[in-house]
Amino acid sequence: MTETEKQIKVTGKERPKIGVYVCHCGINIAGVVDVYKLKDYALSLPDVVLAREYKFMCSDNGQSLIKDDIEAGLINRVVVAACSPRMHEPTFRITCKEAGLNPFLFEQANIREHATWVNMNDSEGAYEIAQDHIRMAVAKARMLLPLEVQRVSVEPSCLIIGAGIAGMNSALDLAKEGYKVYLVEKTPTIGGHMAQLDKTFPTMDCSACIITPRMVDVAREKNIELLTYSEVVDVAGYVGNFEVTIKKKPHYVDQEACTGCGACVESCPVSVGNEFELGMAPRKAIYIPFPQAVPGQYTIDMENCIQCGICARPDVCEPDAIRYDDKPEFLKVKVGTIIIATGWDPYDPTPLKQYGYGRYPNVITAFQMERLLSSYGPVLGKPVRPSDLKAPHSIAFLQCVGSRNFREGGNNYCSRVCCMYATKQARQYKEKHPESDVYIFYMDIRAFGRGYEEFYESAAENYGINYIRGRIAEVSEDKDHNIIIRAEDTLMQTPIEVKVEMFILSVGLEAVANAADIASLLSVQRSADGFFMEAHPKLRPVDTLTDGIFIAGVAQGPKDIPDTVAQAKGAASSAAVLMSQGEVEIEPYYSVVLDHLCSGCRSCQSLCPFGAIDFDEFRKVAIVNPALCKGCGTCVSACPSGAMVQNHFADFQLNSMINVAIKQSSVENGGK
Amino acid sequence: MNEKKDLKYGFFLGCVAPNRYPMIEASIRAVFEHLGAELYELEGASCCPAPGVFRAFHIPTWLVIAARNITLAEELGVDIVTGCNGCYGTLRDAWYELEHEPELKKMVNEHLAKVGRKYKGSIEPKHVVQVLYQDMGIDYLKGFVKHKFSDLKVAVHYGCHIVKPSDKRPWGGEYECPTFLDEIVELTGAKSIDYKDKFMCCGAGGAVRTAVKEVAADFSREKLKNIRDAGCDIIIDCCPFCHLQLDLGQMEANSVYKDMIGEPYKIPVVYITQLLGLAFGIDPNRLGLVKNHNLTGVSPFIPVEPFLKKVKEQLT
Repeated sequence: MTETEKQIKVTGKERPKIGVYVCHCGINIAGVVDVYKLKDYALSLPDVVLAREYKFMCSDNGQSLIKDDIEAGLINRVVVAACSPRMHEPTFRITCKEAGLNPFLFEQANIREHATWVNMNDSEGAYEIAQDHIRMAVAKARMLLPLEVQRVSVEPSCLIIGAGIAGMNSALDLAKEGYKVYLVEKTPTIGGHMAQLDKTFPTMDCSACIITPRMVDVAREKNIELLTYSEVVDVAGYVGNFEVTIKKKPHYVDQEACTGCGACVESCPVSVGNEFELGMAPRKAIYIPFPQAVPGQYTIDMENCIQCGICARPDVCEPDAIRYDDKPEFLKVKVGTIIIATGWDPYDPTPLKQYGYGRYPNVITAFQMERLLSSYGPVLGKPVRPSDLKAPHSIAFLQCVGSRNFREGGNNYCSRVCCMYATKQARQYKEKHPESDVYIFYMDIRAFGRGYEEFYESAAENYGINYIRGRIAEVSEDKDHNIIIRAEDTLMQTPIEVKVEMFILSVGLEAVANAADIASLLSVQRSADGFFMEAHPKLRPVDTLTDGIFIAGVAQGPKDIPDTVAQAKGAASSAAVLMSQGEVEIEPYYSVVLDHLCSGCRSCQSLCPFGAIDFDEFRKVAIVNPALCKGCGTCVSACPSGAMVQNHFADFQLNSMINVAIKQSSVENGGK
Repeated sequence: MNEKKDLKYGFFLGCVAPNRYPMIEASIRAVFEHLGAELYELEGASCCPAPGVFRAFHIPTWLVIAARNITLAEELGVDIVTGCNGCYGTLRDAWYELEHEPELKKMVNEHLAKVGRKYKGSIEPKHVVQVLYQDMGIDYLKGFVKHKFSDLKVAVHYGCHIVKPSDKRPWGGEYECPTFLDEIVELTGAKSIDYKDKFMCCGAGGAVRTAVKEVAADFSREKLKNIRDAGCDIIIDCCPFCHLQLDLGQMEANSVYKDMIGEPYKIPVVYITQLLGLAFGIDPNRLGLVKNHNLTGVSPFIPVEPFLKKVKEQLT
């Protein structure tokens, strides 16, 4: 008896009867290789009892070909040679299941991405590669074993990281559906960047007026546990059963005792730049970020506090709420799903020295301009320039600062909101100072959203804002701190020099500074641009590749507010789907310990990144917890005695593929 | 004074310094000796060849000749150093290409084999300023300064090849507003004045001076206007070709653009090691700042006397 026959004897009841189905995929495959020849080739492989080709195997008709063959008892294993298993493996598994075959007796050969697409102009080469893939898939199919999917229950609760407009919307939706939500925010207040904006384009809604009611709703909602000034420090577990550790940073103020009178703020001697005002106004070391902050809790910023003790004096803090020895608290919660809504950081234009930010006082970023324009900002909505605190008679915006930049120090992508916010700010300034000159230097104006093009047209037509197509080469400063811009007007094909009194950089959006830490904490991927990566760019825009974890808002990539809210609601809906089902299927790819081979060395236990391996002290063997095991295979490759077997990727299954991959298998006639 | 070891370099002269500004070469030799660095002669060195001219016509020829020059220092087992931005541009760009493109290295070595040479890639081409700033460092240089020229206002001119292309230069990707040369200048107590379009070309580069002298002079005119407007006493540069353009170019601008200029330009142009040497207390004769008989009729075209007069008090 050969090794393979022995294996079949041991594991299967009957000899494999494999059906191979070659898909044309329209002309994606059939246009490059001869699918009829491939079908004949498949028939020559061992244990292949029938082979068919069809235009689209994934279509209803294609699937019923497979179903009919299984139901007629012709085959008991299925190989489909088509596209990537990422696309249609689930489709064909369901087909098998519906026809009464264990879905794990299916194998897919990817002859589209791996063969015909990458070798479009080399049909012979592509044919050879397609043959290899089919041969390997058939070899594995002979070795497949039936497996059972596992079901685990899903905790009806959700962790949302970030309480900006995205996190708040997801939280409200889930809470109203009846799920418990833990909303974690690292700053002392919810609201995010949207709370800093003055007005929103293109409708000119007052941003604060539309976001503060939402903030109040969040605070009032019973099902939302608001954890501000907190950070997620550890995430363990798996879909449906995450165990999350949250660190509540010390406020150094007893929130129960504090009456919010604000006497401490008045008496605090330390003044530092207020983050909420982007450094353009001071705050004290004891502070609330802004008047409408939710929750309206006072916090001592210990990095700047000198612990002078004034605020703790009984004549200052009558309720005696100051706690200099406050310690962080750690909270453990169990959640079924997680939504990442960590938002963004503005691009820091300091490295682009040609634009003078940080060198010339009258060069500011558009987010600073937003605060200057804000009616509750540092100058109550009457913008002045930093050097002399006078209203500038001329201002210029530069677009795409740090965006669409393929040189050092910039991001390649378009930040999507800058064209519109610059247009909006230009209009606002023009409304306040109709006599002023306003310029916008741009590469392209991308006015893609609803009402955006009209908004832009009106800015140019009715407001007399000067749009100049061309990037600015450099700026310099004259004696009065005016900014001299040197640029090329690429429409007029002429170099131009313009002097303005204030220069505003329309900086782009970047992934948050600690995105890498969050990604490793949650085991989710990021794209090359630094933002969190969705599972599929078209069809799964709010899922990550880690089950049970979703993304919302700018955390996934730059977006405007309507898109952010839409995606936040989408993420909430996806999380709710999982939680409403109550349980979830887990693929049975976990590792199994062969007790009689395990020597109890515990190598696997120390290496397992998911803590899925326990040790039976009595029998001295390793035990795998299937629910925690992610099927990474680390333990299998580490095991010195070959006692670890990973379901569906067992050594004998992979070896059978390798054997036929490196040499043409001797053509046994498997019952042709 | 802290000791620095192993400051040994093959000195690549280039064309402009030995032919037109021997005082630049003299001052580099004097200052390096003073700082305890050893300069080896590169016998048989050719033209670098010039990046604007040769490379523009035929890149492989440019690369092979540049590689040959680098092998001269490789034989001596020392880094190659040059005081010229153009030579630096060629040697460093060629070195960078050869380090990153094995195919080019193979091609170059096929040609070099014909003259019995081989490019190994064992050394790094450096600029005199790079050696001062990075190999020695500001703190090291500080220890040698004897005289401080506190009321000297300097217009620093970097030139182009020393900072660009930034990915092939050792300044950490900095290309808009480098400060390394200003920092060296300010060691001498002089003040580096920020002037308009400080990083503008001198006018000579890219064979512009060779092809259309009036255009080159127009560049210089604008640059000189900005320098004069900022109230600078002298110009400090680190490239013999920029030196030529800013020095002789003043006379050319004065005559071609007479009507635009008004008062003719007379701004002394001084090479960085000349200024540094003076601050270190090296004899001005050795730095080529005082004209002796042999140099009669040779540049500089704009007298440096106003500069010497300005620093005289601090020297004595």
